[in-house]
Amino acid sequence: MKYARIFFPPRFCLMALTAALFWPVAAVADEYGDVNQLLRSGKFSEALTKADQYLAGKPRDPQMRFLKGVVQTEAARPTEAIATFTKLTEDYPELPEPYNNLAVLYAGQSQFDKARAALEMAIRTNPSYATAHENLGDVYAKLASQAYSKALQLDGSNVGVQPKLALIRDLFAPGAKTPVRTPAPAAAAPSSVPVLASGPTAVKAPAPVVVAAAPVASAPTQPSASAQAAAVATPPNPTVAVPPAAALKASSAARDVESAVQAWATAWSTKDINAYLGAYGKEFDPPGRQARKRWEDDRRARIVGKSRINVKLSDVSVAIAGNKATAKFKQAYSTESVNISSRKTLELVKAGERWVIVRESTGA
Amino acid sequence: MKGRANLLSLVRCSRLRGWLGHTGVAAYCLSTLLLLTHGPGWGAPKKKTRPPPAVERAVFGGDAEARLIEVYRLIGQARGRHALAKAEALVEDHPNFQLAQLVYGDLLSAQTRPVRAIGDVSEAAAKSNSLLLAALRDESQLRMRALRERPPADTIPSQFLQLSAGTRHAIAIDTSRARLYLFENTAGGLKMLADYYVSVGKSGIEKGMEGDLRTPLGVYFVTSNLDPKSLKDFYGAGALPINYPNPYDARRGRTGSNIWLHGTPPEQFARAPQATDGCVVLANPDLQRIIKTVAIRSTPVVIAQSLSWVAPRSVQADGRRFTEALQAWRSAKAGGDISRITSFYTADFSSNGKALADWTPVLRAELGHARGRDIQIKDLSYLRWTDSAETMVVTFGEVIQGERIGLVKRQYWVRQDLQWKIFFEGVIG
Repeated sequence: MKYARIFFPPRFCLMALTAALFWPVAAVADEYGDVNQLLRSGKFSEALTKADQYLAGKPRDPQMRFLKGVVQTEAARPTEAIATFTKLTEDYPELPEPYNNLAVLYAGQSQFDKARAALEMAIRTNPSYATAHENLGDVYAKLASQAYSKALQLDGSNVGVQPKLALIRDLFAPGAKTPVRTPAPAAAAPSSVPVLASGPTAVKAPAPVVVAAAPVASAPTQPSASAQAAAVATPPNPTVAVPPAAALKASSAARDVESAVQAWATAWSTKDINAYLGAYGKEFDPPGRQARKRWEDDRRARIVGKSRINVKLSDVSVAIAGNKATAKFKQAYSTESVNISSRKTLELVKAGERWVIVRESTGA
Repeated sequence: MKGRANLLSLVRCSRLRGWLGHTGVAAYCLSTLLLLTHGPGWGAPKKKTRPPPAVERAVFGGDAEARLIEVYRLIGQARGRHALAKAEALVEDHPNFQLAQLVYGDLLSAQTRPVRAIGDVSEAAAKSNSLLLAALRDESQLRMRALRERPPADTIPSQFLQLSAGTRHAIAIDTSRARLYLFENTAGGLKMLADYYVSVGKSGIEKGMEGDLRTPLGVYFVTSNLDPKSLKDFYGAGALPINYPNPYDARRGRTGSNIWLHGTPPEQFARAPQATDGCVVLANPDLQRIIKTVAIRSTPVVIAQSLSWVAPRSVQADGRRFTEALQAWRSAKAGGDISRITSFYTADFSSNGKALADWTPVLRAELGHARGRDIQIKDLSYLRWTDSAETMVVTFGEVIQGERIGLVKRQYWVRQDLQWKIFFEGVIG
């Protein structure tokens, strides 16, 4: 059976931002930035040379090795990319991203069984890793469709949807895997939780990258100490009691936030792509440090391409701090082939009269 | 870490709910499981403490089928991951086992969404392949039913009244269950060796005429063993032709030919329950086992719409009245009185085209050879076939006193009113 090539959403825009956040040494950040820059402009061999130069001095550096794997993937050198990511999984078995990308490469070669095994490893490594879950759902659906084709003795090439697996561009993209650990509001009554406010109580690393300039007070995280550990270690934020007047105001704002979130889910369900994308603000930071355009294209492909989408939200809780809000809820997402329940957190800011999403993350 | 652990268990639970909560597969298989272990089978209900011994002793179907049933069992126990792993291994070994692929597809689908029924394919695929899908679901049901409703222990199909010691094996096919049962004829009676899923004619059973795409019902014998090398791939591992139309079929004007037991083409491990032009089709490993086991020419093949399983003792009693008739024929023949002998034959008797009047000289010649000596009946087998008439297919060696060997004869008897009469007689060896 012949399968069309896996569609890789070509997201070339890997920002140096993460590196800048995690590695305080500017020179180091530049190396990643340079490779990224070369990758983005399609200069794959230069990017590889640069990565290899860096790795000659720091052969175990996971971030650069990961980047090298991404470059090899983009340069359509899957065998080398597979070797790079495989080695990473051996040296850093606690990192889910290399497994995810291995899966993308295997799926690209129609080796869906291997893709499945890799994704299951990614999820074993990090059970709340949303991208891997979504990719795995697609791979299961593809494998099922293959099995059904064999059962019905159909020509495999004209059956089923080709999975579009998401390649992870950055090893330590916080949005992709790390749950933002903020305590749920104590009661239904909205309480003010300064989730995104800068200052000593702000959520520590991996910092939400809402604003590029957000100061990060915490000590730089070592690359090998995966972000998971940092997340677990984060102390809970104190819940601040609010005076009645403020509560009243907050409650009306909370309603606005909730209806904005519900409108977003409705747009998604009805595949109203313009309304869906419009729910995200200018400052929205796409997961995995993708460029906004790439992210939008990817979302469009994933949403418009489905024949049926159903998104239901439950247990919605909203916390507001000034013109910022955090909505947490349980999201039941289903399509004709996939059925995933997950916890989701949306961070919103008030832009004029509207609340728009600036950050989206999955996890408990 | 707590948050993650919760999420993980949440995902797992929702998947289990997917299996348990959606009636289709889960409930279906759960009931199968219960029936497999506690079902009373066909016979009288057994005591709860003692499951039917036949379940324990008999070798179920082929290996691939046993593995498929194991997958069903695991699904019934809501052990979806185990079932998935077993199904994956099964389709790896038998990628052309369509039903296994269908169940494997369901198990994969169940990882991401609820599965509502066996073969929960996309709506479009279900629409354009509705017949095929229905056939696979039928196959699934037939296989499970045949395995949960076992013949009661120590019973045999009612057709096998007596098999001579020289008949080493026997085959009985129950088309309502899409099942072939292979027996060994031991000193202690018929013992079931194995049973297999089979496919029959596209238009079902009770073949009447050439080209009707039906499988004949009756008592037959394996006539030869065709070398698979001489056959098209379509016939798989080989072919065992049977003697359709037999004299009883011919007497009723039934036509057609080339009814075989044969295997499956390379692209199919098994065929749909109703898929053939009239042949009986088995999975290649199952057919190979039969070819290796049975003797050509002497192995009876009973094809019935529904077998009834009886205690061997009860068929002996049934056979007594018939053997009295047979012994009366023998003594008439030994007596040499031609008119007394011909009274045992029907008016429409035929022996390979010879009517009774033409056949009488043959009888006279045999009597001349016997010269009044007694006649012995050796190695007697007789199989009963009852539809609108009660018939008996009788095979024996007719040995004249004082001679070392005799003729192997086959007679077809029919009961007319209360009298058993011969409507066909022939020498087969």
